[in-house]
Amino acid sequence: MTDPDAPRAISLEVNGERHDVVVEPRMLLLDCLRETLALGGTHAGCEHGACGACTVLLDGEAVRSCLVFAVQARGASVTTIEGLTPDDGESLHPLQEAFSEQHGLQCGFCTPGMIMTAAALLEETPHPTDAEIRTALAGNICRCTGYVNIVKSVRAAAEKGAA
Amino acid sequence: MSTVEKVKAPPRTRLLGQSLRRVEDGRYVTGQAAYVGNIQLPGMLHIAFTRSPVAHGAVGDIDLSEALAVPGVVAAVTGAELARECKPIRADVTDECWQGSEQWPLAVDRVRFAGEAIAAVVARTRYEAEDGADMVVADLEPLAPVTGIDDALGTDARVHAGWRDNCFVTRRVEGGDVDRAMADAPRRLRVTCHVGRHGGIPMETRGCIASYDRVGKRLTLWSSHQMPHVLRTVVADLIGLPEHRLRVVAPDVGGGFGIKSNIYPEELVACLLTMRLGRPVKWIEDRREHMMTAAHARDHRHQLDVAYDDDGHILGVDATIWVDCGAYSMFPWTAAMEPGTSVSMIPGPYRIENYRAVGHALATNKTPAGPYRGIARVPSAFSIERAVDQIAVDLGLDPLEVRRRNLVRPDEFPYLSVTGNIYDSGSYLESLDELERLVSLGELRAWQGVERAAGRHIGIGVACFTEQTAHGVQEYVRRKVPFVFGYDKALVRMDPSGTATVFVGIHSHGQGMETTLAQVAADQLGLALEDVRIVFGDTDVSPYGNGTFGSRSMVMCGGATELAARQVGAKLREVGAFLLDVSPDDVELCDRRVRHRDDPSIGMDIAEVARIIHLRPERLPSGADPVLEAVASYDAEPGRGVYSNGAHVAVVEVDPETGQVEILRYACVADCGTMVNPMIVEGQIHGAVAQSIGGTLYEEFQFDEAANPLSTTFLDYLMPNALDVPDIQVSSLETPSPFTINGLKGTGESGTIGPPASIAAAVEDALSPIGRVFVNATPLTPERVLGYADAARAAGA
Repeated sequence: MTDPDAPRAISLEVNGERHDVVVEPRMLLLDCLRETLALGGTHAGCEHGACGACTVLLDGEAVRSCLVFAVQARGASVTTIEGLTPDDGESLHPLQEAFSEQHGLQCGFCTPGMIMTAAALLEETPHPTDAEIRTALAGNICRCTGYVNIVKSVRAAAEKGAA
Repeated sequence: MSTVEKVKAPPRTRLLGQSLRRVEDGRYVTGQAAYVGNIQLPGMLHIAFTRSPVAHGAVGDIDLSEALAVPGVVAAVTGAELARECKPIRADVTDECWQGSEQWPLAVDRVRFAGEAIAAVVARTRYEAEDGADMVVADLEPLAPVTGIDDALGTDARVHAGWRDNCFVTRRVEGGDVDRAMADAPRRLRVTCHVGRHGGIPMETRGCIASYDRVGKRLTLWSSHQMPHVLRTVVADLIGLPEHRLRVVAPDVGGGFGIKSNIYPEELVACLLTMRLGRPVKWIEDRREHMMTAAHARDHRHQLDVAYDDDGHILGVDATIWVDCGAYSMFPWTAAMEPGTSVSMIPGPYRIENYRAVGHALATNKTPAGPYRGIARVPSAFSIERAVDQIAVDLGLDPLEVRRRNLVRPDEFPYLSVTGNIYDSGSYLESLDELERLVSLGELRAWQGVERAAGRHIGIGVACFTEQTAHGVQEYVRRKVPFVFGYDKALVRMDPSGTATVFVGIHSHGQGMETTLAQVAADQLGLALEDVRIVFGDTDVSPYGNGTFGSRSMVMCGGATELAARQVGAKLREVGAFLLDVSPDDVELCDRRVRHRDDPSIGMDIAEVARIIHLRPERLPSGADPVLEAVASYDAEPGRGVYSNGAHVAVVEVDPETGQVEILRYACVADCGTMVNPMIVEGQIHGAVAQSIGGTLYEEFQFDEAANPLSTTFLDYLMPNALDVPDIQVSSLETPSPFTINGLKGTGESGTIGPPASIAAAVEDALSPIGRVFVNATPLTPERVLGYADAARAAGA
């Protein structure tokens, strides 16, 4: 009989690259990304699925990586903020550009999660209304900006055709 | 041949005052910021704490053996062990009546709030450390807890053995003749107000890494903290390490709001453990720990007796303040901070000549309370604003009119308040005018009337306030706190290529200081924004500084940056003029050049002057040394702070059947003197208003009757989200301070001060067609609003 707590070998695709990792069944996808794969842009804000700081795209859908075990992501494709950033080291994704241009961030801790949530929104709804933006972002808590400039940022990115 | 000649010089414009995009954004939007949780060191171990499940208890035996048997666990310690290696945290003021507290790194013989750490377990991974912490067996004998303000005042139980009562300190302020004013006044009223217990709740929790180099005898502490130098001084003292062997790094910090400006036990534990183990140790607070142990705030009760005349002029105020400060006095602020500031701030923007206030700092078996954005001013503005609204109700006057009759007028500045505060300048009346214009108040009220007739419960509420910012040295002397900070410093260093680095002791964790300080320095040095880099958060490189808190950094560190940059600029002009063979008085720094004021064709690149100073010292004028850096300190005279002001309006809709409050509109007029970067100022107002909406409507640390915390997750402590916060409107006025360089005032906290008062007034106004009630407490949860609605129905019946 196998030990249910024994580490498992899984492979998953993160930002277009295949990774083979060995994880305990209890390890969160969040911790797997941050600790095992050293992708520190996905942040732990509450670890109980309420703040959205750890939002990533799992097979294209915005999910909270603190509510997903790494083993559940076996075979899946994960996109993090690092994967959204263009490879050239110079330019930014239109959402990243818009957040900076519109002052849609202050301390930056919620920002990767906000941007990933916004990316999922614009993928589905390229030209959202402000109400749709606010509804989509309602699961992401920001403590600095009062959301005013975040909404503006997403609107600006949508206007530039970010999706 | 200078290297920058190929670069097109920017046009000559002052950067100060421009809404420039932030230079620091790149690393945040790409996920590359280095928060403490992102730092990995070779061989690093992880700490988890075992915490008290009771609010008050006697600590007996603690058995670590099962914890130590957990796979991966490397070490475990108790408070008794660490107490031999460390002093307790004591934050004392010098008042005669003061009763102080001692907080050990881990509880020794008593636990005084639920969540206080009693043991620490170190393991290879955080998962294993938590497994170990779960296996610590502690013998805790529950003691009677002191559960709140009434209990603290009435019980025989003591939070701290040997105290005569449960009061840390009582602060008093008196001016004029309040007894006579009360006796002679044609009208009097009494209001009792309560602002609930909530907190800053940064999205990044607390956290630290400590790493001891046994050979070099050097300790490095990375901490998510607002004041790295203060942390270094205190930690070095408490653990007995010479301060030059301790380096504190506060890297990227994911929000502070005051919560990360305290000295907490966990940093001490991490330092002691790395010194024991010789390996780096890391602790990242989880959210539940944060809700139970990071500083709470507010929890004020105020009783105001107000004397006034038939025209609504306030003749006197007699106030009593009680604050639930929790179990320990937090360093460096002390438990005197909240009541001590409130007694000073209640008069706010009003001309009140007869005044008395007594403020009590009470100890309870709850999480220690510390500074949170808007300290003491939020509950102080709440009570005086609510009182002013009651005067308006009593006299049947417009609440704005009562305010106008009492606000300090433009011709009265600088105004010495009855509590000894010096209001430097302000736009108290103009702000109210601007607010009326901004929201077209007349039309808004007409619309309210129409909607009311249609059965909607719409309310409009207004609040005016001042914010004391940039408290200088004399203010902290007056507060009798252990460290008299107030000043701040900057070191400006120009390198041989003519670019500048500014080293500062403040911190930036959202405020955009990397941009705004660069704006200040670049102007003085004739450089472009990208030619200046700001370095902060590392005690090994920055001059001693006091950190970021109290809406101070732009004024204090901005002033110091300007003074230091002026000195470097003077050196550039002196040497440049010598090399150009003109008088230093005739040259200016502009567009990256030292050039003649009247004939810009006479000039040379700053880069060339800088290169000569560093690398060709034989070409310098005799007596000039090859130094191109300066350190300066700044304390805005007279050192008692400068006053921002604001006026807010809230428009709400209340559902009297459910108690739900929806904010339909929120608008602010904000005046923080000269703005360095208006975009950033506006962002600060947005964020502060949103946080304060949270404290006004949703957020509350609740406890049961045994002082057990009930709000330990985001499911039972509600933070405002994008659907709760409206599209906040901001209009800025600029009344420069006569006391500060560039006329700056602080503004980080201003936005928090208005919402409790304006929203409470709006809710009261919304319910008024049903019946008259006095909305006197926050948070305005549906349950509480239903209570007011019921009272309104009873009053209207």
